[in-house]
Amino acid sequence: MRCRQARDLIMARVDSQIDPEGDRALERHLESCDTCRLEWQKMRAMDNLFRSATVRPAPPHLRTRVVHRIERRGQARRAVVGGVTLAIGASALAVLMIIPIGWSLFGSLGAAPALLAGAGETVAQLLILFTGVTRVLVALLDRFALPFAALALGSLFAALVLNGLWIATLRRLRVAR
Amino acid sequence: MEQNVAEEEQWIAAARKGDTAAFGRLVEAYQNPVYNLAYRMLGNGPEAEDAAQEAFIRAYKYLDSYDPKRPFSTWLFSIASHYCIDQLRRRRIDWLPLHEEIAEPVRLASASPNPEAVVTERDREAWIQELMGTLSPTDRAAVTLHYWYDCPYDEIAEVLDLTVSAVKSRLYRARRALAEEMEGEAYALQTS
Repeated sequence: MRCRQARDLIMARVDSQIDPEGDRALERHLESCDTCRLEWQKMRAMDNLFRSATVRPAPPHLRTRVVHRIERRGQARRAVVGGVTLAIGASALAVLMIIPIGWSLFGSLGAAPALLAGAGETVAQLLILFTGVTRVLVALLDRFALPFAALALGSLFAALVLNGLWIATLRRLRVAR
Repeated sequence: MEQNVAEEEQWIAAARKGDTAAFGRLVEAYQNPVYNLAYRMLGNGPEAEDAAQEAFIRAYKYLDSYDPKRPFSTWLFSIASHYCIDQLRRRRIDWLPLHEEIAEPVRLASASPNPEAVVTERDREAWIQELMGTLSPTDRAAVTLHYWYDCPYDEIAEVLDLTVSAVKSRLYRARRALAEEMEGEAYALQTS
C-alpha cells in the first residue's frame, strides 16, 4: 500500500467508514510506515478533541429579542406604508383643490371654451392656453409677489419640519429594533 | 431540534401568515444549534448572538422562499453559515493558507507528546476555538457541521452551496490542518 492510499484510509477510519479489509490493510501499513502512523495518531487526536466538544447553549433572551425585532420591523413597515398613503392622499386632495381653481382661471381668460371647441384648432388653442397661463402667472406674481414668497417659504419650512419629524420617527423605530 | 416534523410544519405555516409567536417556537427549537454554529465560526459570544439573531430575522423575512420538501434545519443552517462567512470575510482575518500543501510530519513519534494528554492541561473549549480560528470561513462552517451536527457530506454541500466532492476535499484539508496545528501547539507546550 502506498502512503497516499493509506491517508485516504486514515480519513475513512476517522469517519468510521472503512471496511474491514481496508482496515486490516491500513493496520499492516501503519506497522511498517512511521510517517503514516504519525499521521494516524495526529488525526485521531484531532478527531477525539473535536468530538468531545459540546454544543454551546444560546443566551436565554435570544428568542425574546428575535421576536421583538420582528415585531418592531412590522411596526416600522406599517409606519412607512401609512406615511406613503398619507402623502398620496394629501397629493390627491391638493390636485382636487387645484383643478377647479385652475379651470376657473382659464375660463376667465377664455382658454376653457377654446379647449372645448374641437380638435381642429388644438395647436392654436394650446398656444392660447400657454399664453394665458403665462399671463396669469405673471399677473399673479406681479400682484402677489410678497404673499407668494411668504407662502412658499412657509410651505418649505413646514415641509422641512415634517420631514425631520418623519425621519426621526423612523430612526427611533430602527434603533428600538 | 426534538420537536416532531408535523409540529414544525404547523409553526412554519403559521409564521408564514405573520404569526410571530409561531416563529418564536421555531426560534426556541433551533436557537441552540444556530447559536453554536455562529459561536464556533465567529469565536465569541456577542458576535455569535448578533449573528444568530440576524439569521433568524432573515429566515422570517424569506420564509416564503423556504421549500418545505427540504429540512428546515438545512435551510436555516445555510442562512446562518452564509451570514457568518460574510462576517468573517468583512473582518479580514488572516487565516492559514490551507491551499498550500502541508509539510510532511516530522515529529511526534513515540517520544513526542500526546496532544490528547496536553488538552487536559488547557481549556479544551478555548483550544478548539483557537484551532477553528486557523481555518478559512467556509472550512469552519464545514468542520462545525461535521463535528457538532454530524451532517453527512451531501447536507453540508447543500448548506454551503458546494459540491459533495468539494466538501470532502475541504474537510480533508481542514482536518489535516487542524491536526498539524494541534501537533505544533502540543510541541510548543512541551518545549516551553
